[in-house]
Parts: sequence; structure tokens; C-alpha cells
Amino acid sequence: MLRRGAPMPIKSYLAYPVSGRLDELAAALRRLPGCEVIPAVNRDLLVLVTDSPDEAAEAALGLELAEVPALQALALVAGLGDAAIDPAPPISSARHSSGGRS
Amino acid sequence: MNRSRYFLIGLAVLLMAALVAVAGQSLIAGREPARVMPVTAQATPTLPTEAGMYARVARAADYAAMPAEPNRKRTREAYYARRAYPGAPPVIPHPVDERQAFGKACLACHGEGGWVPRFEAYAPVTPHPEMASCRQCHVPQAGQPAFRASDWHTPAPPALKAAAMPGSPPPIPHALQMRENCRACHAGPGAVDVLRTTHPQRVSCRQCHALAAPAAEAFARPLTLPSPPGEEREKTP
Amino acid sequence: MTRRDLLKSMAAAAAVSAAEAAFPGIVFPAQDKAAPAGGGPPAPALPNDPNLAWKKTPCRFCGVGCGLLVGISNGRAVAVKGDPASPVNRGLACVKGYHSVMALYGKDRLTRAMVRKDGKLVPVPMKEALDLVASKMAETIKSHGKDAVAMYGSGQWTIPDGYVASKFMKGAIGTNNLEGNARLCMASAVTGFMTSFGLDEPMGCYEDIDHADVFVLWGNNMAEMHPVLFSRLLERRLKNPDVKIIDLATRWTRTSMAADRSILFKPQTDLAIANAICHEIIRNDWVHAGFVRDHVSFHEGKTNIGYGLEDKFTFKDEPKTVGFERYRELLGDYTVEKVEALSGVPARELRYLASLYGDPKKKVMSLWCMGFNQHTRGTWINNLVYNIHLLVGKIATPGNSPFSLTGQPSACGTVREVGTLTQRLPHGDVTEEKARKLAAEIWGVPVERIAPKPTYHTVEMFRAVDRGDIRFLWIQVTNPMVTMPKLRRYRDGLKKDDRFIVVSDVYPTPTTDVADVILPAACWIEREGMFGNSERRTQHWDRLLPPPGEAMSDTWQIIEVARRMGFEKLFPWPEATHIPEIWKEYTRFQAGPEHEMAPYDELRRRPGVIWPFVNGKETKWRYNGQYDPAAKGAFDFYGKPDRRAWIWFRPYEAPPEVPDAQYPFWLNTGRVLEHWHTGSLTRRIPVLHQAVPAAYVELHPTDAQRLGIANGQRVRLTSRRGALVLPAQIDGRARPPEGQVFVPFFDEALLINELTLDAFCPISGQPDYKKCAVKVERA
Repeated sequence: MLRRGAPMPIKSYLAYPVSGRLDELAAALRRLPGCEVIPAVNRDLLVLVTDSPDEAAEAALGLELAEVPALQALALVAGLGDAAIDPAPPISSARHSSGGRS
Repeated sequence: MNRSRYFLIGLAVLLMAALVAVAGQSLIAGREPARVMPVTAQATPTLPTEAGMYARVARAADYAAMPAEPNRKRTREAYYARRAYPGAPPVIPHPVDERQAFGKACLACHGEGGWVPRFEAYAPVTPHPEMASCRQCHVPQAGQPAFRASDWHTPAPPALKAAAMPGSPPPIPHALQMRENCRACHAGPGAVDVLRTTHPQRVSCRQCHALAAPAAEAFARPLTLPSPPGEEREKTP
Repeated sequence: MTRRDLLKSMAAAAAVSAAEAAFPGIVFPAQDKAAPAGGGPPAPALPNDPNLAWKKTPCRFCGVGCGLLVGISNGRAVAVKGDPASPVNRGLACVKGYHSVMALYGKDRLTRAMVRKDGKLVPVPMKEALDLVASKMAETIKSHGKDAVAMYGSGQWTIPDGYVASKFMKGAIGTNNLEGNARLCMASAVTGFMTSFGLDEPMGCYEDIDHADVFVLWGNNMAEMHPVLFSRLLERRLKNPDVKIIDLATRWTRTSMAADRSILFKPQTDLAIANAICHEIIRNDWVHAGFVRDHVSFHEGKTNIGYGLEDKFTFKDEPKTVGFERYRELLGDYTVEKVEALSGVPARELRYLASLYGDPKKKVMSLWCMGFNQHTRGTWINNLVYNIHLLVGKIATPGNSPFSLTGQPSACGTVREVGTLTQRLPHGDVTEEKARKLAAEIWGVPVERIAPKPTYHTVEMFRAVDRGDIRFLWIQVTNPMVTMPKLRRYRDGLKKDDRFIVVSDVYPTPTTDVADVILPAACWIEREGMFGNSERRTQHWDRLLPPPGEAMSDTWQIIEVARRMGFEKLFPWPEATHIPEIWKEYTRFQAGPEHEMAPYDELRRRPGVIWPFVNGKETKWRYNGQYDPAAKGAFDFYGKPDRRAWIWFRPYEAPPEVPDAQYPFWLNTGRVLEHWHTGSLTRRIPVLHQAVPAAYVELHPTDAQRLGIANGQRVRLTSRRGALVLPAQIDGRARPPEGQVFVPFFDEALLINELTLDAFCPISGQPDYKKCAVKVERA
């Protein structure tokens, strides 16, 4: 669950590329600030971990992500704030609560 | 009567007796007890998962001696490209004669594998040669454009490197049905590149590689032992 | 790693898990996140630890005794390799060995001592538990006598474990109430050796495999039970296609699939088959006359010897020396035609088997294990297979080898060689004055203290607990509440009031469930030790890991209790050096060219050493003057007073319980490759548990069809002693013949031994787990 207003947010997503454009997506995401990319070996899917210094940077990153042409869909899995250790919610609820940013 | 005649007859008799004696002696000496071919009371049944492991075991030594094929045609991607989903019967990537629907023609190349000059590749070996009606499951592709677009997604193939500890023999990530013969796909030059075993001469594969049943729950001690009918049992503490 | 890094990796892990849940089999490369077999957290990559060390040890499991290298990093075992330097396995292991170290890390590991107070087990400090054990033992001796206390150990005991147990029970307390679970595993092999040769353990070694032309497997599923040795057989055959592997068994198994031919016989008729082979050998004049004349003598014993079903059953054989003619006459009933009718094996097959043994150009290795030993005539059938080899002179030379395979990793090394059995001392029998004198001298105790009469073998010992003749029982490294035949009686017996049960183990089991005190034990490489395998190879390992919590080695537990009971002088060694000191003392018993053991440093250095170890050389083939310094002449069976091997005529006798109208099926029990014994270790290894999660009953397809049972359906098995419901398995791992079912015993939730019968071989005391009668129905 996304905690609005959490300082120094760290988030992880599952990122789906437009069909056949996995490498392009991975390259594009790596260029964005505070983004770490872990592509799957045997599927067109990658894990994106974002790390923003504050809420403003997080919002700006969100807009940039929306602009990436090779990005088909983004599913939020976990959101952690540095202020308190909030463990990620259980996986099943994370899936249900994953927002889509298309 | 002519003396020399008697002498010749005597000599002939002597020679014949000697012949009989020598031949007879060597026949008797060379005699071995007759070996009767045994007949089994009950024919040994085939337990597919067990017997399949040892099929074509004579090839194991040959495979151990064969080096890896340098320009691998048979990559994992190529392998899965021929299958609609992991475990599906692969399509036939080469033209076939319509009259060759049944076994023998296919087995000429796919029974034992071997180098096929026309495709410049090693023929893959079937793990189930006993199935005689090949074209029942394996079909060629016409190479035409799609009739209508399809939304089919295939599940991911079994993962590599799923060993329990580093260096442990990786467990078998796929079901064994019709794939009981490990050697067909994991040994020899026709094997998929990353799947080819480093030790084909070890023929008792499932001595080290366990079949994983991921659906089973982890081991937990029973809280109560199950009671047979009509009996009360104590709970364990 | 900073806190932010930690949070980022948590977030990444959450995303990876979500992907794995949505797309099974997906792989991410960065942190080697492949889902490992059996579930659980991803296996870490081999740590970048400059101190990662590969240390040698024999495997924890079967009697093959493979050499392993365990990877130790930061106080944890993280990986396993086969030891290429070991002549036993040459770098190969099996699925149990490769995952063996995972058995140390089950979450419910016993790390604290527990004492039962008001029916509940409560944790107590180890010191308090040891005090209680010592005081209870002393109290029981005082009120009921020294034969009211008993100890039950194991073929998985290390040699020092067994040695201190023997010194404690026999030298300190002065009772022969000491037994080991090898009684249930190898006792008939021992009495077979003793009656045929006068000395225990095989005369050949594993190297025979590299020379033999024919392997006859008698009633053992070697592909699953001694898998690495079986692979050596397969390798031999791969390189020499004329080599034959014959599977002679009561059901079709993986071994049958690999064998060149598989011959099925009716249960117990192995006795008749062996005699028929001897009959054929004599009839065809394949006897090695010179060998028999110079090195064999003929004997017969009592027949109709009973089955031990009654408490306090005793048996004493009456051996008679006879001649070859009398022996031939006695074999007259065992023509191949008569044995065909009895055993179901066609006469032609019997002739074929005999011809393999009789062919002077072929070297033959016979291999057997539980099919022969867990047998109400186990001693006899061991004698009979030796008879075959002795008649044709195929023994004690490379490749010609009747080889008794051992089940447990140290049934030989500990129970048999140290002698943790009621009738044995570390050298000799308790009944021999010479042996008692030697023990008294080495132990430093008065010779009168060592009791001269054996008391109980295992089944009788548990019967004595049930009756109340034994009031205190200390069980170590074994799980009798799963493995005793006719289990209900013995479980009820141990649960009676006024029976004090102490259990040393590493995990909770049905045996710890009935304990009054549980002592947590250090497991395998968590303490220094030695095992002795089937081929007389003693193997040493150092302590490689710290034991968890208060877990303590069995050796040290016994020493601590003994000291508390006033026997410090007998157990004076400091903990740092107690193992080499114990080894030094123990090996004094085995001095001499017939049994000399290697010195401690030699054991540490090498991947095991075969005994006898004489003047720096291993005696690989005993009784053969060419290889054995203790043998005089070409062959010298120095174990017997006439320095000959003894051929015993033994007849066929039926088992005590056979299928009848009410219980029409044979019940056979045994193991599977993936699980060791009662599964307390292997079921906590996820890979092995996932491979075979639960027990089942194997049925022949025709029987299943007749009874209306499909694969996986629930089946009720009922015997005169109990009933059990299990899922059916048809043509999975193995197929029994019609009229027979098979159940593996690794599953503590499906206690098949509630159905088995506690009949045993009257000479050895070993029960028969392979034959009793059951009813089979859909549940």
C-alpha cells in the first residue's frame, strides 16, 4: 500500500514492456534517476526499484515513467518509506492493490 | 595275394583308426555342457519411470567421448520456439512425406540421432520411441501468415540452476511422463546446448537428481497420529 | 549494507516474489533468485568467503560410506561435493548425500534438554537433565539390580559413541543390557559370518566390483539402497558389455529395470534356490574339488528351530560335523524341478544361475542386504550363499566375492566391531573368559564385573521393558517407536508407568514423544567421529560445525552421565582430546594381523583406511595368503578352529505367517532412495521430502483392478496386529507380483510396523520385516 507523504520513498514495480521491446525499456528505465532495473531471464518482464530523495522527486519520476514509449504497464508491488520501517504488505494483497500506471 | 596289398590295406585301416581316435578325442575334450537359454516365468514388466532411465544405456559411453558441438543450433530458445508451451509436442520443422505417418521413417533419424547434412545439425532423439504414431502429435508447419491474431501466452519454461545448494545436482523441474529417458534430451550432440549433461557416463540419473513435486507442503510432524478405525490414540505433546 | 540498501533489497525481493507467484518458473539473474527445489528462500550463491573450506567426511547415510567434501562457510555447511579422492565413490554421491547437510537445519531441531513433568515436556538446562539421568539410572540399579537398566544404540553411532557405551554398560555398570539397532539390520549377516567363518565381516572389498564378470543381487534393490555402489556396477558393465547383472528378488524395482535379467521368486524360497544351485553345481561336477578338499568342512545343525514369537524364546544350535557325501545326500530334496514348484522360478532359470556360478571362467560377486538379513532364517540364508561360493572356490580373490552389504553407515564400525550387542565385547564374546580378561585389563576394571552371560537381544529387550524386567532405557540415534516390528506392543510397553525412557536425538520423533528425558544431540559433522562401512573401511571426520544450543555429542553425554555415577576414573579424558584417546584405547582390543586398526593420524589424513591395517598396508582380501598377512598358505580361514570355511546344510523352512484365506496378501516393507530409515532427517530436507512426500502401498495392476482400486485411491491394509489406510501406487517406483504389497517405512504418520510381526531368526534375533500376511481392501 502506498503511504502518501512517506519521506524518501522506495518503491518496487513489475514493468511490462510493449511486445518485443524489453531491452529498449530496460535501457530507458536505467537512464532515469534513482532507478534500478532487474530484467527477467526467460520472460518479457522486469523489476523496477525506485529510490527518490523526496516526494517532489518521486512525483517527477512518475511523470517521466509515463512518458517512456516502450513501457506497456507498470504494477506497483511495494512502497517503503525511510521514516519508519514499514514492511511490504503480504504479496497477495500487493497484487490486488497494485495500481496500474499505463 | 599281393603282399603290398595287405600292407596298404593295413596302413589304411591304421590311418582310419588313428583318424577316429584323434578326432574322437578332440571332440570329447572340446565338449562343453549345453547352455540352455532360460525362459522367464513372468516377463519383467516395464516400469516406465525406472526403465526409461536406463534405455539406450549403451550410448552413454559414446556420448561421454563426444565433444560438445561447436556451433550449437539447438539452443534453448530454438527448442522452446518449436513448442506451444513447455512440454508440448514439438512441431516438425522440416518437410515430411505424407505417406510417412507411422514410426519407422521418423525413427531412422530420431531413434538414435546423428548428423543430418541437409540441416547441418544433429537430429534430436525421441524419449518415447515406443509410440508408433508420430504424426498423431507432431505436425509440420506450413509457414503461412496467421489466419487471425492470437492472444496465446505461454508459461515460462522450467528454470535453470534451481539446485538446493550451490553445486548440488539440480532437481528435475519437469514431469516425467513420456520423458522418462533422460539420455534422449540431456546427452549426446543432439541435446539442447544448456541442458547437455557433463556426465553422460553416469547412467543412474535419478540417483542424484530428485523429481520435485512443488505442490507438496513442507514436512510437518502430525499433531495427532491418524487412528485406525475404532481406536483412540493419544495426542503427542 | 546501509538501511536504504536494505529497504531497496526488500522492495526488490517483494517484486521478485510477486513475479514468481504470477509467472511460475520465472528467473531473475541478478541475485541468483531461482526458486530452489522444494520451496523455501532462494539458495544463496556460493559465498565469496576466502575462508570457504571443503572438509572431508563420510556420508551420514547408508552403508556404502561415500566420501564427501562439505563446504563450510562462516560456521555453516553450505554445499556438498563427492570426494574424488575416496576409493569408495570416486567423487559421486546420491541425492541423499548431496543434500545431507541440509538435515542439520530443520527448524524444529532439538537444542534444549527436556524433562517430562506432569505429563508435559519442559525445557531444562542440560546439566539438570544429565543429573536426572544419572540419578535415575543409579536409583534403578539400586532398587531393581543392574539388569534393570538398558541402553539401545545404533549403527549410526560413531565408533567412540559405541565404545564409551560398551565401557559404561559392560565395564562400569556390569550389565549386558546393551543393544544396537543393527540387530534389526545386520544380526543375521553377523551370525552368518560367525557360523561359516568364525569371524565377522566380508573377506572381500568394493574393489571386487572392478574384477567381477557376473553380479547376482539377492533380494536387494541396490539401485535405490546402495546407489553409488550400483553405479559402480553399471560403470563396470558399460566398459565391459559381457558383464551381467542378475536381479533375484521378490518384486520388480528400479534394479530390475537396469539388470540384464530379473528373476522373481516367492518369499522365503531363497533358501531353496540357494540349495538348488548347490545341487546343480554338484550334479554337473562344477565343484572345485581341490579347494573343497583343502579348505572346507561340512556341518549340519538343528532344524525346525522356531520363530521367537514367545517371550524369552531361547535357541541353541547343535552342530554336527559331517562329510561331503552326507551334504550331497541332504541336498537331494533340492533338485531344480522340486524347487521350481516351491519357488516359482523355472528350472531353466535355476540351471542358468547355477551355470553362472559353476563356470570356472567367470568371476561372480553375490550382493545382498535386507532381503537376506531381515528373514526368520536369516543366518541360514547367509550360510547358503557362502556354500555356493565355497563349493566352486569363488571366494576371497579379486572379483570372486560373496559380499554382505551393510545398511547403516557404522553398523560394521560400531555395533559389530566395537560390539555394542548383548553377547559381545570389543574383542570376543562375553562368554569367553579370555575376552573378559582382555576387556578387564584394558578398561581397568575387575574381571568379575564383566557379566559372562548375554541378557537380551533387541526384541527381547523391548519385551523385557514391556514386562517390567527393565525399568530404565536410554535410546540414542535411533527411532524404535517407528521401527520395532509389531509396534503397538512395544510402544505401549515404553509408555507404561515406572519405565524411565531417556532419548538422545536431533529432532522430535515418535520415540521422543514417549521419552521422560530428551537430550539434544550433536549431529554428524557437529562433532568429531569415525564410521566403519561395509567394506571394513574406517573413516574419520573432524568437528566441522558447532552444534546448536545445548546439543551435545552422544559420546560426551554418556561420559557426563558416567562421571556423575562415580566412574570418572574410567572416563578421564579431557574434552579436547577425548576422541583420539578413545581411539587409542579402543584399538588395543583389535591389535594383531587379523583386525589391526589404523592409527588416529592415518585416519585423519586419508579418505578412510581398510582394516586389517598391518605394517602400513590394508588387507583387502582376507583369508587369502597372497593378500592377508594373517593367513598361512594359499587360503587360511583362521576364524575357525579347523582353519577351514564351514559349509552348513540348511533346509528350507516356511515363514511363521503366510497368506491364507483371511489375509491373502504378503506384506513387504522397505525403503526408497530418497528417504533414510524413519525420515527424521531426510523429510526435513525439502528436496527429498518433495520427491517422495508420503508413504503409499504398491499394488500389482491386476490385483488393483480386481479390488477396484485406482492409482492414488485409499487402501486399507489389515493384519492380525493392526490396520492402516494408505494411498495406492500402481507401477510407480516398483511393482510387486500378484498377491503381494509393499510399503516404505519412512513416514511417521503411516506406521506400517503396527502391522508387521516380531518373529525373528532364532540364531541371530533379527526380525523379519519382509513377510507377514495382510488383507487389502478399498478404504
